Parts: sequence; structure tokens; C-alpha cells
Amino acid sequence: MSNIEVQYRDKNAALIFSILIILLIVVFFLDIFFGSVTLKASDVLQSLTHQSHSDVETIVMKFRLPKALTALFVGIALSLSGLQMQTIFRNPMAGPYVLGVSSGASFGVAIVILGFSAGITTGNLNSLGNWALVFSAWIGAGAVMVLIMLISSRVHDIFVILVIGLMLSGGISALVSIMQYFSNETMLKSYVIWTMGSLGNLTGSQLNVLIISVTAGMILSLASVKMLNALLLGENYAMSIGLNIKFSRSLIFACTCILAGSVTAFCGPIGFIGIAVPHIARNVFRTSDHFILVPGSMLTGGILMIASDLLSQLPGTGATLPVNSITSLIGIPVVIWVILRSAKKSGIA
Amino acid sequence: MGYSAIGEEIRYCMMEGKSNEILSLEALKIGYISGRRKRELLPPVSANAKKGELVAILGRNGIGKSTLLRTIMGLQPALGGRIIIDGRDSARYSRLELARKAGYISTEIVRASNMKVRDLVAIGRFPHTGWTGGNDPEGEAAIASAMERTGMTSFRNRYVSELSDGERQRAMIARALAQETDILIMDEPTAFLDISGRFEMIHLMSRFAREGRTIIFSTHDFNIALNQADKIWLILDTALVEGSPEDLVLSGAFNSLFDPGIVSFNHNDGTFSLRPEKRGKLFVRGEGLIRDWTIKALARAGYTVSDNYSVPYLITPVKEAGKWVIVLDDASYEFDSIYSLAGWLVKTITLLPEILPVIFNK
Repeated sequence: MSNIEVQYRDKNAALIFSILIILLIVVFFLDIFFGSVTLKASDVLQSLTHQSHSDVETIVMKFRLPKALTALFVGIALSLSGLQMQTIFRNPMAGPYVLGVSSGASFGVAIVILGFSAGITTGNLNSLGNWALVFSAWIGAGAVMVLIMLISSRVHDIFVILVIGLMLSGGISALVSIMQYFSNETMLKSYVIWTMGSLGNLTGSQLNVLIISVTAGMILSLASVKMLNALLLGENYAMSIGLNIKFSRSLIFACTCILAGSVTAFCGPIGFIGIAVPHIARNVFRTSDHFILVPGSMLTGGILMIASDLLSQLPGTGATLPVNSITSLIGIPVVIWVILRSAKKSGIA
Repeated sequence: MGYSAIGEEIRYCMMEGKSNEILSLEALKIGYISGRRKRELLPPVSANAKKGELVAILGRNGIGKSTLLRTIMGLQPALGGRIIIDGRDSARYSRLELARKAGYISTEIVRASNMKVRDLVAIGRFPHTGWTGGNDPEGEAAIASAMERTGMTSFRNRYVSELSDGERQRAMIARALAQETDILIMDEPTAFLDISGRFEMIHLMSRFAREGRTIIFSTHDFNIALNQADKIWLILDTALVEGSPEDLVLSGAFNSLFDPGIVSFNHNDGTFSLRPEKRGKLFVRGEGLIRDWTIKALARAGYTVSDNYSVPYLITPVKEAGKWVIVLDDASYEFDSIYSLAGWLVKTITLLPEILPVIFNK
């Protein structure tokens, strides 16, 4: 009886996973086909397999493919960091953007761009500069994470923490404005361009750094599924079933900072994917088991981010919208739904 | 000669007891550390529990019952002394090893959306699984059996957030059973439950204790502790007193829990009652259940039962439909129920303190 049911449950999850994988492949290729110029499928496939040397190949290999890959890894990274934050804080409203972790990362980046490295801009950073940028974003994200953690250990009201997160973001923006006021024009310009948030401005070496960092974060996330499941019960129960709370929390913290920080370093703050995707994954799979939720959020996040990129190019027109506004329009309704639901029955994460 | 043989026997019994011990506290200091300051809640406590015992912890609110349980579980540090679990100092257990020895259930409610009962119970296998948390057939069997024995099998696909208090508590116990530990630590397991839920819970706990688990639970329910526990750890401001409920009743340990002017402890049946205003003694004539319950109402009204016949007197009915009759020297009063009788006694007899009515069966 129980075996039959276990098989059925796994089959159900396997079916959803297959659908998501197919969906991911579809949006990924659509993202390559559509843009300011709509390409023919046969040309794209030829250029992907290096069988032509046309303008199409230049467009695909230099612009469309890197952008689609960026969207994929950004979506994965933000969703995973959101999932981890929601579980570790036991707060359904947690996410890198709403709790100010992205702002913390921006602050780290601002210090690098506006403060120390005069003369280099995001456009011409060499790969060592890229790592410096990413590293400072990690540190900035980590500082905010530690602050939020300290506050959550004293205040348990999730809405209070949410408001404090917003205040932190506001405070950090104020600090950055002050830094902007005292910086010179070139630095300011490169910083302002960065804050607009974009998936398409990454250099090849920046994409490499992003892919390496996010892959590391993915591996750490997959390695921590059991710890995340234990943390769902809360700190006391988690310890009572044998979880080493300090180790697991540090590991998951580091992982979240790497994921959210890397994205923010290269693409600017991108909102609401991190908070919304884990809720979508939980309700698609109807489970709280991170063994399913971690890969589930990765797939859902990748799909949503690529779809947002696709929508931001307004297929059929030449215009391009900021991707941040699309992710907000997708994410905010989900967040409102979660707020209304948790206000009703106070179910967390 | 005979004397020393008895001595031998006693020593033998004590050794038997020692080998059976699963948990013992040795001059354990509990409390909180804030900064460099330590705040001890109690004088050092010593106590022990054997395999298969149901141990109830009693004590007033805020005396440190939860802190003691949390300290045993290693959720907060001991400020001194030792906790010996299965013959080994608990400080020498890793967190994982400890989780294979002792499970924990507190009043903290697990709030996780989309978590099914089966998922919750499966998390109990944490100390026995690899990094994915996946279960081997043995683990699956432990999960199934834990749900079976707590009556949660049919709830396996229900969401934890949708369970009633009693169902959720049973699911938490199933989780702790799936953990397969010798010791189960429960902080106020009956706190949220209604009366039938409490008895159901205590029934489950006694059953698991009979199977060989040691269950240590804190409670405010004296009735349950006195009737069901094999042993009581009574926490007083000055010490921890341990023993069977009966030992503690006979030694008068419970008296120190309450203000003796307000609450009296009945040494015959182990119940507590508010000490009523004393009005006098009554002769109660009658028999059976109706007489017993009438006496209970009289006691509440301030009368104890007199052994000697006297007038005025009162009669209890033999059958349910009968009447209670108070017979005075010159008059008698009839009552349809104990309620109206007690009301009349409280109101009238205070005016006539010398009148001692007697109750008869008519």
C-alpha cells in the first residue's frame, strides 16, 4: 500500500519535472529566436552548431545566447536564494530583494565602482576586476543577511522583519546616493548604468564568473536539502533531530550570499523572482520537501526569468523594456497572494 | 545472620536498578547565560529514570520545567553537573548521536505550508539517513509503523497546517517514534488538548513506555501525573524530589506546592480541592452513588460528614427521580436536585450556624 503510494507520488513529481524541463527548453529557444530581429529557426540551429558564418551567427553567439544563458542562471540563482531564505528565516516573505540582501550587494558593488577602482568601468572590467566586483557583492549581501538574522532571533513577527528589510534597503540607497554625490562623472555613469539592471550587458568573462558562482551555489544547495528540510521544523526541533545548526546555517548563508550577490553584481537588483518562485514551486509540486523544491525552484526560476526577458523585448516591436519591471509585474501578484493567505492562517514558508 | 541476608538482598535490588538506568542527572545546574553572567534557576538537581518508565515533571509555572527538558536535550547548555544518558556523559555525545538516543516534542507548533503528515514523520528519520534525506526500506517501514501506532496512517496525505491540535500532536509523536530513540522528552504534551484528547495522549504515552521507551514529560495535570506516571520529578524552589506518585503523597511533598490555607490535598484519593469555609458536621443517611455525590456537594458548601445521628436531618433519594429532604425540628424542606439543595444550604444555614441537618435515604 505505502509502496504503491510512494511510487505514485514520485511519478507525479517526475511528470511535473518533465513538463518544466520541456517548458524551459521551449522558452530558452524562443528567447534566442525573438528580439529586435526575429530569426529563422533553421538559421539559429545552424549557427548554434557552427555551420554558418553569417550575421545570424554573430547575433546568436554574441548576443542572444549569452543573454539567454544569463537569464537562466539569474533565474536559478535568485529562486534558490529566495527558497533558502524563506526556509532559514521561516518567513514566507523572505527573499533577496525584499529583505535588502540585493541592496547590500549593490552597496558592495557601489564601493568598488564609486570608491576604490577609479578608472575601471563595468564595461571594461578585466576578469580579476569581475571577481572583485562579485566578492564585494557577496560581502555586502552577507552583512545584510547577518543583520536580518540578528533581528529575526529577537523579533518573530514576519511583517516587522519585512518592514525592517525595506528600511535597510532605504538606508543603503541613501548611503549610495551620498557616495554618488562625492564621486566623479565617469564612475557615476558606470554605476547608474549598472543599477538599471540588465541581462544583456555582460561580457564573456563576466558570464563565466556568473556561471561558475551560480553553479557552485547550486551544488551547495543540492547538498543542503536535508538540512533545509530539518530547518522547516524550527531551530529547536532541528537540533533535537541531530542538525548541527551553526554549520548548516553558515553553509546556507554562504550559499544565499553567493547566489544573490553574484546576480546583483552583474545584472543589478532584479526584484520579486526570489520571493515568488519558491511559492510557485511549493504549490505546483504541493510539497515542502526540499529534495523536490530545490530542483523545482531552479527550473521554475529559470523559466520565469527567461520568459520575463522574452516579454521585455516586446516580440514584434523593436522596443526593449527594463527586465526589472517585467519580473515585478509577475512577482508582485504572487507576493500579495502569499501575504493575504498568511495573514489569514499564519502558515509560514 | 538473617539481618545481613536482607542487607545483601537490598544491595542486589539497588544494583539491578542501576543497570536499568537510562537517564540520570547528577547535580545538574540549569539556567541561562547572558554575557558572562550565569543565572541559575534552581539549586543543583539530581534525578534518574529507568528504561520503560513514564516520568512526569511537576512544578509551578516558571520554575524551570521546560529549561530542564531543554537542557537534557542539549538545546541549551548545562551550567554545571552532568547528564548521563545510557551510561555516558551527554557532553560526550555528538548532536547526531544524541538524536539517536532522545527525541523531543515541545509546545512549539510546526508551521510549514504544503507539508504533509508523511513528510513531517519522515523528517524524524534525520539521524538515520544520508545527505538526501531519502529512506531505505527499513526507514520507510519505521515511518509506516510510527504512523500506524499513532493512528495517523489515514492522515498521511493531509497537510499539517490543517490538522486539529490533537491530530497535530499525534503527528509530532509519530515523527519522534520514527526517530527510534530510547528516550522521549515531551514538554507539556497535553497543553492544547481537550479532555478526551488528553486521555488519548496519555494512553499513547503509557503504551510506548510499556514497549520499553522512557518518556519524560512535563505537565500541569496532577490528575494524569498521579494516576499514570511511574515516577514523578517534583520541582520545588528548594530541590527536585523524585519518587512514585504514592511515595510523594505519603511524604507530604505535594503540600508544599500550594498555600495550605486555600488548597487542601486529599491524601486518600490524591485530589486537590479549594479549602471551603467550615460550617459544621452533617449526618448523611443514604447509600450508593447519589449519597456519595450529595456529600461532595455538601463538602463544597462547607459541611463534613458526621458519623452520629442527630436532628435536624436530611434524606437523599434512593432513585434518581426522588427528592432530597431536610428535616428540621419543626419543619422539613424538599429539593428536586442537589443544585437546589446546595443553594439552600449555603443561603440558609449560615443564618442558623447551630443547625446541623442530616440526610437520609427516603
